[in-house]
Amino acid sequence: MTIDRREFIIIGAAVAAGTALSAVTPALSHTVAEGQSPLETPPSAASANNQWGMVIDIAKCTADCTACTDACRKENNVPLFGDPKRDIHWIRKLTIRQKGVENATERYLPAMCFHCEHPPCAHVCPVAATFRRKDGIVLVDKHRCIGCRYCMVACPYKARSFVSQHVEAGPDANPNAPIRMHGVVEKCEFCVHRIDAGREPACVEACRSQGNGAMTFGNFGDPDSEISRIVASGEAEQLRADLGTNPRVFYTHL
Amino acid sequence: MDIKFSRIEVDSRKYLAFMTAAGLVAALAPASAICLFLEGHKVTNMTNQVPWGMPIVMAIYLIGASAGSLVLSAMSSVFGRVEYKPFARMAATLAAILIVAALASIILDWGRPDRLMIPFFHFQPRSVFSLNAILYSSYMLLCLVYLWAMFNGKKHLERLLGLTAVFLAVLVHSGTGAIFGFVYVRELYGSPLLPPSFIAAALSSGTAMMILVLYFTFRLSGRHLDPRLLTSLGKLMGVFIIVVLYFLFVENVTRAYAPANYEESSFLLLHGGKYTALFWIGLVGMGMVIPMIVGLNHTLSRNIGLLLGASVLQLAGVLIERFIIVIPAQVFPVELFHDQEVTSVFLDGQFADYSVSLIEWTYSIGMMGAVVFLFALVIRLWPMVPTEARHLEPEEEVAAEKTEQAAEAAH
Repeated sequence: MTIDRREFIIIGAAVAAGTALSAVTPALSHTVAEGQSPLETPPSAASANNQWGMVIDIAKCTADCTACTDACRKENNVPLFGDPKRDIHWIRKLTIRQKGVENATERYLPAMCFHCEHPPCAHVCPVAATFRRKDGIVLVDKHRCIGCRYCMVACPYKARSFVSQHVEAGPDANPNAPIRMHGVVEKCEFCVHRIDAGREPACVEACRSQGNGAMTFGNFGDPDSEISRIVASGEAEQLRADLGTNPRVFYTHL
Repeated sequence: MDIKFSRIEVDSRKYLAFMTAAGLVAALAPASAICLFLEGHKVTNMTNQVPWGMPIVMAIYLIGASAGSLVLSAMSSVFGRVEYKPFARMAATLAAILIVAALASIILDWGRPDRLMIPFFHFQPRSVFSLNAILYSSYMLLCLVYLWAMFNGKKHLERLLGLTAVFLAVLVHSGTGAIFGFVYVRELYGSPLLPPSFIAAALSSGTAMMILVLYFTFRLSGRHLDPRLLTSLGKLMGVFIIVVLYFLFVENVTRAYAPANYEESSFLLLHGGKYTALFWIGLVGMGMVIPMIVGLNHTLSRNIGLLLGASVLQLAGVLIERFIIVIPAQVFPVELFHDQEVTSVFLDGQFADYSVSLIEWTYSIGMMGAVVFLFALVIRLWPMVPTEARHLEPEEEVAAEKTEQAAEAAH
């Protein structure tokens, strides 16, 4: 096989382009490993010593109360389009009934993003737009998300919503909440802006003040915290624990 | 076997009319994509319950057809099937065009296609999508270099690239299958059989497409095509379909065996309404069994009209197969609890409602139009199509191969 100079240059250029593409990609990338934080937050805000989580006592959650979901909408400016299939929900209230039992009692529980230790959404995200902070909070970088929706397919808890239309923030929108962007996926952020300011998530606060105090927020990094003690007692359960995602939200009396 | 390739010469008015028609159909794709980008996905039937719709179905369908084409193209140089040499160039060209259309289908369906370059700068090795971005780009590049080698008569390079092409095509399409196979959360997705069954469907649909492309390209450009070449491809298609059906059988029986999956399996196979009908009638019956019988039966496969019909059915069958893989797994509600019935304002626990919206149709048909348009353009501009395509009997094939090797040695 003989290759003349022109052909050599063409092959060379093609090989170089291919190599460059695969070699440059990892070099320029900011691969976010679990536990690493690309966010430039003060160290005090996202410290590995804090491992935020929640325990929800569903015996206290009642049919007619919407304190947590209302507070979340208000705090994070989550809009309702009046289209159930496309409405965005960061937290929603589930009604459950034992399968195969006649006249089984209805029970209620709020469900949001569970901030899994092994988040499938972050694993499948092609651009690492979904990542896990040092303190265990799973976030979406709305400036990086390409809107491929693989995370929505992979999330076992249906925690994610796609912003399928343009949304304008109203005049009374909370300026501290993240800006909404069309064409990207979003979800509950554990009110990270409040946590970083030393406050609890809006749903937990509302549940205590206007609801029945079913939600307890705390730090799993501290073995003496209330949530650590409840989980240690063995009374708390995770949803779909069989999947091995290890959610940071637990339920009691499930 | 000495094959001469030349640009197609056709009546320029007819060609212009054909290209105008194909161009108009192709224009539907960018028009739909612009509408999607400006208005958002609310103009489609994709929702928070079914985030992936027809564009994803089209994308994996086109990737499959591309991978199948490329393997067929490499058959002559890598596996020594001299009789398939006449369409090696056409198949490689189609592979390149199809992968471009597939990537367009994926990217234009993103919520933010304007962020096109982000996957190249932010890499996530654990994501199959992220790996595929690299696989698809190198695959596209390889198609072009391979074509160049073929055009310039670089026999050894062509063989080497052909072998690489087969390897990469298998990798690329396994990666496509793994997008779904790795989703362990949904019982109708998670399966280790998806990557190999994607390869099988790629080969069967790629062969069906080649039968149609060969017939119509030769017919419309007034060249002679030995019908026995089509019959032999029909047999190949039949064999590939057997493999597709085998994987489909094993996957579904294995899933249905576990009591925990009874609901998922019976939804897909027994009472899923349009999905069940599509599965049994569209996919298994019309899309696989009929083309398999026509392809493998000596008498039936010699009837070119029947064979063309069988190829169309198989192409539609694999499109339906892709639909059946992508959609029902999302329609079936996510199981938050094994033992509780769930309801909520977010439609938890409810079967989602999905049908292909008008704009998803125009998007998909436009993509197919674009493939036809580009292919017709390329064979007009470059010598892709052989002046005639003969079929070789086995002994002739051996002789032709020997002649070729001798010529190569002399060279």
